[in-house]
Amino acid sequence: MILRIARKEIRDLVRDGRFRWSAVIVTVLLTTSAALGWRSWRELRAEQARAQAEARNDFDEQGEKNPHAAAHYGLYVFKPKPPLSFVDPGVDPYTGVSVHLEAHRRNEVGNRPARDATALQRFGELTAASVLQLLLPLLIIFLAFPALAGEREQGTLRQVLSLGVRPGTLIWGKAVGLVVALSLIVAPVLALGVSVVVLGSAESARTWPHALAMLAGYVLYLGIFLAVALLVSMRSRTTRVALVVLLGFWILNAMIAPRLATDLARRTVPTPSSLQFTEAIRRDIKAGVDGHDPEDSRIERLKQETLKKYQAETVEDLPINFQGIALQAGEEYGNSVFDRHYGALWTAFGRQDTMRKALGFLFPTLAIRELSMALAGTDNQRSRDFAESAERYRRDLVLTLNRDLEQNGADLGFMYQAGPELWRGMPEFRYQPPALHASIQDQTMAWAALVLWLSVTVGLVCRSTRTLRVD
Amino acid sequence: MLEARSLTKAYNGFTALNALDLTVKAGEIFCLLGANGAGKTTTINLFLNFITPSSGTVAIKGIDVVANPLETKKFVAYIPETVMLYKNLSGLENLSYFAALAGQGSLSKTELRDYLRQAGLPEDAADRRVGFYSKGMRQKVGIAIALAKRAESLLLDEPTSGLDPKASNEFANLLRTLRDRGVAVLMATHDLFHAKETGTRVGIMKRGQMVASLGTDEVGHADLERIYLEHMHD
Repeated sequence: MILRIARKEIRDLVRDGRFRWSAVIVTVLLTTSAALGWRSWRELRAEQARAQAEARNDFDEQGEKNPHAAAHYGLYVFKPKPPLSFVDPGVDPYTGVSVHLEAHRRNEVGNRPARDATALQRFGELTAASVLQLLLPLLIIFLAFPALAGEREQGTLRQVLSLGVRPGTLIWGKAVGLVVALSLIVAPVLALGVSVVVLGSAESARTWPHALAMLAGYVLYLGIFLAVALLVSMRSRTTRVALVVLLGFWILNAMIAPRLATDLARRTVPTPSSLQFTEAIRRDIKAGVDGHDPEDSRIERLKQETLKKYQAETVEDLPINFQGIALQAGEEYGNSVFDRHYGALWTAFGRQDTMRKALGFLFPTLAIRELSMALAGTDNQRSRDFAESAERYRRDLVLTLNRDLEQNGADLGFMYQAGPELWRGMPEFRYQPPALHASIQDQTMAWAALVLWLSVTVGLVCRSTRTLRVD
Repeated sequence: MLEARSLTKAYNGFTALNALDLTVKAGEIFCLLGANGAGKTTTINLFLNFITPSSGTVAIKGIDVVANPLETKKFVAYIPETVMLYKNLSGLENLSYFAALAGQGSLSKTELRDYLRQAGLPEDAADRRVGFYSKGMRQKVGIAIALAKRAESLLLDEPTSGLDPKASNEFANLLRTLRDRGVAVLMATHDLFHAKETGTRVGIMKRGQMVASLGTDEVGHADLERIYLEHMHD
């Protein structure tokens, strides 16, 4: 019986011009956005790989020079664009994807396309994620709002119920019909997505489970909209009321909630501006050890300690190069300042993230946004993880270079020069993203919000079938 | 078959139906006459459990409608004043869907076409979308649904209002055929002539009460009209 009702719903929908047009529009938008996302992902990745190789090559080929000069010369590293970022670019355009690593300084991750974007782009780029999160719910609303309110208005509901159909059967039949109709629209794009993920890249083994988890998240999310649409349609006397209520729900989720979440997070957990932040770090560093300044009193103390350790009279008598030690001491002081400031900033950002995720319990669109970005590997958490990973590499790099200066530059002092073997000996920077279960665990709240929303709305639909009004 | 005992429906102070007693046996056509708002549609809605009675009982085939709404609906077919259909589907597809919902999902296309023919729908109209149907054609699909359901009783709410005389007449003939098969019919109508012609009994309703009930063979056309008008005068 449910299938019979579903079949009629599909036939009715497919013959309706409204459905055909919206199907065409959504298919075109979804396919275009996914295809464009995929192409720009491939281009960006190739470009990044080239830039990364070039940067490394420049570092390797800098010739004979003082290792500390090489540390100043530095190296660019890039956050690899994860394959699923073609579905959801997330915050990458805002947080940046590359960083210059050098001695003494912890540079901010830069290369932010959003900074160069025109005002028009601020309205939102056409991405598969925005189609899935905003446009598909709208499509569901347009297809489902007359489901029962329309039959009530037309009078067919009286006739259907006079036949002795269980109201629950009718609702389930309609739900199944709508799900199938929607699948007809989404299937081509899904097929495209699957082929991209499969044929896609070397990381497909890693991408697969993420893609599946993402799919599960979107199924939950769209299910919520379907349940809400049916619920409202069941309870509205006219289609007009149903449509207005549902559009209100959509506007609340799509337009108001994201701004509300950002403002609320910023107000409850204030973070320093970029300028204040760098200024605070600069001030603290100035108050510390300066490895380049021989007049620095702390360097003087370090010198005395070192002389004592090697039982030497002067710096020139030391079996090692004191410059290396002094520079590393300055470096480590700087690192402790960075750890303090960035630690506080990351904690604040983390709390803002948690707040946004918690708001997902009120607005499902916020929950899916966080979930989708996290699974695509383009959320805030991941950009911080990348920044930390790059920083660890920077410290290793600088430490290795300073050590070389310390151990091999004893007799030459600042005149010591190392060769390309040293530069080439540095390990490659490889950003290792966290495993799937970590990404899923980080999003427990978003998952819980989606599951809760779906079960509550489905529960309400079931309860409403018992009191379904004829007119 | 169809039975109401002291059936009353009140909406915050307003009594739409007051202590109605009514029995329609198999093979009877009971016509409810009366002005708009007299309680005719309320009575039919109560038999369909679209509204619940304030007091009294309503039963179909001896089964209480309030306690077993789904069970009792198996035995009735309902034809409203205007049969509403799905405009994107053809007459045949509409019938097929409604019949399936009524538990007759196994009917073949030929059988369904046969019901449409019995109801008087022109053969070439069956495959056209009902968006193009006239009111008479839609009523005929409604009748075909009732026929396909093989219900033992019919609830008709002014089914012939707005039909041309020929269509009304065809409808009356069909009702007689059903009556002869032993179907119990309860019909709300304004049409005194057809009530007298096809009905076995008529009940005159006024402000929620049945003020008169008589067999159609007891009175002539003129008498029925006179009695009706007398009751309508205050």
